[in-house]
Amino acid sequence: MVILKVCGVDCYYGSVKVLEDVSFSVDSGELVGLLGPNGSGKTTLLRAISRTLKPKVGTVLLNEADIFNMKSSDVAKNLAVVPQSSSLEFDFTALDLVLMGRHPHMRRFEREDQTDLEIAKEAMLLTNTWHLAEKPINELSGGERQLVMIARALAQKPKVLLLDEPTSHLDINNQIGIMDLLKKICLEKGIATLAVFHDFNLASRYCDSAILLHKGKIFAMGRVDEILTEENIRKVFNVEVMVRRHSITNSLYVVPLSSLQTPLQETPSSRNLKIHVICGGGTGIPLIKLLYRNGYYLTAGVLNLLDSDYEECQMLKIPTVSEAPFSPITNENHERNLNMIDQADVVILSNVCFGNGNLKNLDAALYAVEKGKKVVVVDETPIQQRDFTKGKAEKLYGKLKNGAIIVRNSYETLSVLKILENELRP
Amino acid sequence: MEVNYLKKFAKWSLILVSLSAILLFSMSVATAIGPMAIPFDKALKIILHQIPFMDNFIPVQWEGLEESVIVQLRLPRVLSAVVVGVALSIAGVAFQCLFRNPMADPYVLGVASGAGFGAALAMVLRLGFSFFGAVYAIPLMASIGAISTVFLVYGIAKTGTELPILRLLLAGIAVSSFFSALISVMMTFAGEDLHAVYMWLLGGFSLSKWEYIYIATPTVIIGFIILYAFARDFNIILLGEEQAKQLGVEVEKVKKTVLMVASIVTAVAVSISGIIGFIGLIVPHIMRILVGPDHRILLPSSALTGASILVLCDTVARNIIRPLTLPTGIITTMLGCPFFIYLLKKTGKIRI
Repeated sequence: MVILKVCGVDCYYGSVKVLEDVSFSVDSGELVGLLGPNGSGKTTLLRAISRTLKPKVGTVLLNEADIFNMKSSDVAKNLAVVPQSSSLEFDFTALDLVLMGRHPHMRRFEREDQTDLEIAKEAMLLTNTWHLAEKPINELSGGERQLVMIARALAQKPKVLLLDEPTSHLDINNQIGIMDLLKKICLEKGIATLAVFHDFNLASRYCDSAILLHKGKIFAMGRVDEILTEENIRKVFNVEVMVRRHSITNSLYVVPLSSLQTPLQETPSSRNLKIHVICGGGTGIPLIKLLYRNGYYLTAGVLNLLDSDYEECQMLKIPTVSEAPFSPITNENHERNLNMIDQADVVILSNVCFGNGNLKNLDAALYAVEKGKKVVVVDETPIQQRDFTKGKAEKLYGKLKNGAIIVRNSYETLSVLKILENELRP
Repeated sequence: MEVNYLKKFAKWSLILVSLSAILLFSMSVATAIGPMAIPFDKALKIILHQIPFMDNFIPVQWEGLEESVIVQLRLPRVLSAVVVGVALSIAGVAFQCLFRNPMADPYVLGVASGAGFGAALAMVLRLGFSFFGAVYAIPLMASIGAISTVFLVYGIAKTGTELPILRLLLAGIAVSSFFSALISVMMTFAGEDLHAVYMWLLGGFSLSKWEYIYIATPTVIIGFIILYAFARDFNIILLGEEQAKQLGVEVEKVKKTVLMVASIVTAVAVSISGIIGFIGLIVPHIMRILVGPDHRILLPSSALTGASILVLCDTVARNIIRPLTLPTGIITTMLGCPFFIYLLKKTGKIRI
């Protein structure tokens, strides 16, 4: 059932338009995340919905009634707001504060009675703050205070709950606590909840749906996994992220990739060396990251699709020779790999395991030695432990070691490359 | 966990009964003390004898002179102090709350300077003395000065339908300074009236008349009832205007009503007593420390305590260097400042 409906709302601060044509609706019992960068209008939207800021155009309907035609106490009986962390420098107790939530239900000169007290107690028990009832509010921790503020909102007995960044400034334990609580409130009390979040991961884990605001307009709206895409986040937040589905929670998680570590694809390599990396099974990731960050021009191959090394290369837009998932390297792709090696100045072989499927990659490394290329072999784990070809790989590896530079880890590789660089390009 | 919240209301009643008893005691002591010593019990009997229907039960055991000293001289003075004490204290509570500023006092919107200007004008130009008599001319002009100042400040501060607190505060300071300057100009040319104007500005009850009390008392009582009606709204406004709106408080309406009522109550006080400093600033702070921040107890307990303190200060002012009478405003400030500094040191922080 739709309880809150926002229709074509435009809001202005002075002559500056901060919200444009915002329309959406929230059902009872639904937890909706409001996402967007700073200054995108999230708080303004909450202000418009809570009757604190009158929109220039459009209406906000609470239970089908325009909130700006309602008495403010009638709005407060149906809609509660938990503000962004507020400083409360006075000596009211937590219970006093929660009882303030009963204000819209009370008449002038009326005092709180047993019923009000029961409602406050229920709200405080639900938020697990009843034991703090007689403590002064300014002696509570940030997390406790936030919970008390939620209890106050619940004491209003609202049908709609608005929260402005309820988890900011809180530690991870309190963040999860608050999110679990919000979910419980939605499910058990059927309260429609609209909350501003800056944490995509919390939002995707808990919210039924989300609204992505961008420059005062709704950029995307719908199920969280539909709108939290790498592309949307790049466009709205101007930051590169990786969105994956978590194997345990099955919700999306978003990992930001620092713009320092990920130059744009057009950025020319700062160093002249062309390096071809032979890797697989995740052994190439630290190496590729390190070399990429140091500005080398990289190629890689042959890698199977779905291999984590392959995904890393895709993400960094490194030219890669790829093979079908879980399939042995075909002659055709082997040839392409050799062509890439021909183009390279240096070939690096990572600490990869060998099976019959990727044995051709070892041949490729030997081909590089024969061609007079500088070959660096990262030898962290003894080859005996990495050989799943009954000695074939070990034999080839032994041959390779004679003509290659042996290093122990990715960092040694980097130092070797610096020396090679001077040698190859004086 | 067991929490007996409703017990609090019984405690409040007890506090108010005790403070009322203290006020009655202070008033009786104040009427008994003076150049003509009248025993405490006799003073009390004379007072009770004035109340209709009570006179039948109290036999007259005093001289006519004693009765007229009590009834004509001391009682109007003491009652004026009570009314002014109540008025300044409740206005102080209201202003400190609405401005969310512990420095706010009843004069923050320039009421004092406006009233002072009106009173000085009346004295220097002898306005309407012949028509109304000086008894009414000075308070009348003071009230007109005070109320017009408030409207002026409102007009300056108002933006559209809103009344931003910071603008009010700054407009109050500006208008107040302007009228202070005008008062100084008039004092420069006051000549023989300089002393009268100066004494009025210092604040006191030397001119107290029963007539003033008849006008001021109902105004202050109505003012108190209106302010008390907003007591719960005051508590919530302390959270900030935005949160108050979201909790169903009609902030703009409350602000306009309360500022107007508190200003009128202050204007009435100033017009009968001149500018008495410090009561409206420190009484709310003392009571906040003693009874807590809830305006439902803070407002009435400040009213009673403010009245007691002002009555006692006035008694000191009348008797400390007999036969001279000091302006009461000097005593409130001289006693109030050290006490306030003591509180500041002891409690560490002052909250609203």
